Amino acid sequence: MTDAAPQAVKLAKPRSQWADVWVQFKSHKGALVGLFVFLSLALFVSVGPLVWTKDPTFINPDAVTMIKTRNKPPSWEFPLGTDQLGRDMLARMMKGGQTSIAVGLTAMVISITLGTFIGVMAGYFKRLDNVLMRLTDLFLALPLLPLLLVMAMLFRAPLSKAFGPEGGTFLLIVVAIGLTSWMQAARVVRGEVLALKEREFVLAARSIGTPSRRMILRHVLPNVMSPIMVAATLGIANAIITESALSFLGLGFPPDFPTWGRLLFDGAEYIQQYPERVIWPGVAISLTVLSVNYIGDGLRDALDPRIRGR
Amino acid sequence: MLDAKPAKKLVEVKDLKMYFPIHSGLLRRHTGDVKAVDGLSFDIFEGETLGLVGESGCGKSTVGRALLRLYELTSGSVTIGDEDIAKLSPEKLRTKRPMMQMVFQDPQACLNPRMTVAAIIAEPLDEHTKLSADEKLEKVYELMDAVGLNRAFANRYPHAFSGGQRQRIGIARALALNPKFIVCDEPIAALDVSIQAQVVNLLEDLQEQYGLTYLFISHDLSMVRHIADRVAVMYLGRIAELSPREPLYADPLHPYAKALLSAVPDPDPERESGRKRIILQGDVPSPSNPPKGCNFCTRCPEVIPICHEVKPDLAEVRPGRFVACHLVKPDNNTAAGSTGLAEDFEYNQQGEPKQ
Repeated sequence: MTDAAPQAVKLAKPRSQWADVWVQFKSHKGALVGLFVFLSLALFVSVGPLVWTKDPTFINPDAVTMIKTRNKPPSWEFPLGTDQLGRDMLARMMKGGQTSIAVGLTAMVISITLGTFIGVMAGYFKRLDNVLMRLTDLFLALPLLPLLLVMAMLFRAPLSKAFGPEGGTFLLIVVAIGLTSWMQAARVVRGEVLALKEREFVLAARSIGTPSRRMILRHVLPNVMSPIMVAATLGIANAIITESALSFLGLGFPPDFPTWGRLLFDGAEYIQQYPERVIWPGVAISLTVLSVNYIGDGLRDALDPRIRGR
Repeated sequence: MLDAKPAKKLVEVKDLKMYFPIHSGLLRRHTGDVKAVDGLSFDIFEGETLGLVGESGCGKSTVGRALLRLYELTSGSVTIGDEDIAKLSPEKLRTKRPMMQMVFQDPQACLNPRMTVAAIIAEPLDEHTKLSADEKLEKVYELMDAVGLNRAFANRYPHAFSGGQRQRIGIARALALNPKFIVCDEPIAALDVSIQAQVVNLLEDLQEQYGLTYLFISHDLSMVRHIADRVAVMYLGRIAELSPREPLYADPLHPYAKALLSAVPDPDPERESGRKRIILQGDVPSPSNPPKGCNFCTRCPEVIPICHEVKPDLAEVRPGRFVACHLVKPDNNTAAGSTGLAEDFEYNQQGEPKQ
């Protein structure tokens, strides 16, 4: 340490935290691979249809040709084969992925936002705790599928009218899944907040006069990031599967509208003759879930300064 | 500090009570209270350090926190400056916060692990000032200089520091708003001995530099003797004795203070071998069910019948010395009529030994 050192550091501004986060994230191999895989999948479903311009819902009107092109194995014309109606699987995978990834991400965001909000409120404000936690119990006790069915029955028509059949169904599914899957996150977050609230740095912030909202944003939320991340990554997988279950029951998207979950269910009938029809969407869903999981893992580590730089 | 003019009161505590309710039974009914602090009255003068000692569980930390209204008081008043902290509205209280700050016991827990040192020290500035980012950074650097932290550390996270350094960060944060009054809640209890001295000396230097007033809570009697001007000895939520430092350590009046101070080891082996320890029998009664009469009557070696009946009030028995005990009678040369009424000792209480 020379005397010149303090002069030098005086000029150096504190680095932005996000720069540190990125440096740490980059050092997490799994997270990088996850990010790469997820981006590839996103490119595959978004840019793919522009390159591979076959119509995913096209059924050859000529019955003879249609029957001839049914259940084809992979070939140059149909790289992933065709389904039982002669539709191109590659095009269907791309189109279906758009919906599935969009549903998964949006439903996850809704459920995590709701869960975190309710969890933080319940944990931080003692007065709200009982009310909100009983509400959570109530939602946990509701049988999920019948509830979704009722929601779909009630709101499908008005939503379709307002946002068009696809937009309406998307909104309905996303909101329905989001509204029925926030409870775990809320409970975990509440528990963390309860423990955090007793830590001395929260008391220190109160002695400074930090108001509750900034207390939550500055001290509580950053410290409950880890469980939220875990809940979020698992939530995506859950949302994709729930969507397919809904579509399977005829309450999600229309039957000819491809989603990965839908393809999985369609293929399940032919799993013994044509296993690849289940493998493609299955692999796609697994890859999405896995990659998001690794991204979440890396983010969680990168956001924790104690792990960062190790 | 031996000038004749009486020091100005900065903090005036009157009949401070802090009860924590106990809920029990199926219906969680309010069945009792933990009387953590039960009727405390004392003043802290500008620029002095009031030491607050007592065994663990006697309510020291609760007093510190109640003084800054980190707890809602059960009753009593805390006047800091000229406003009653206990009755301020939340908004008014917030504007008052810069005047009073706190240094916490556990340097590990009192810093948010997700914030950089610069962000931690700047938090009070964010809340109470409208400085630009550059001005804030400059102020943070100044504070880091003041507490002896290298400016290059501004960008690091609390986990990268030792206990002593973390405590310095906590002190810098407390200093950020130029407070007048700082509650030091056992700031050295979690540090090892060599670092304790550093931190205490730092606190003393800062006191001189910024004219701070401390309430120094500790169970380390030697350290309190080093830093405090006056010392209050607490037992079970009440003050047993409040005296200037030297007379208290030389000649404690309250039986509990005697017992407590007899536990301080003497560095001189000759005197140490002759030191008589007063070992108290039994345990501290539960603060949820304190004994009738004097709180100390169950363990007092000099107990007399009246102790079991009447709670003794804190009374000035020697100039500047306040004792709550039936055995210690006021000297004749004390101002007549100091019988322990609040009004009386309020006027008589002085920061320095009069001798």
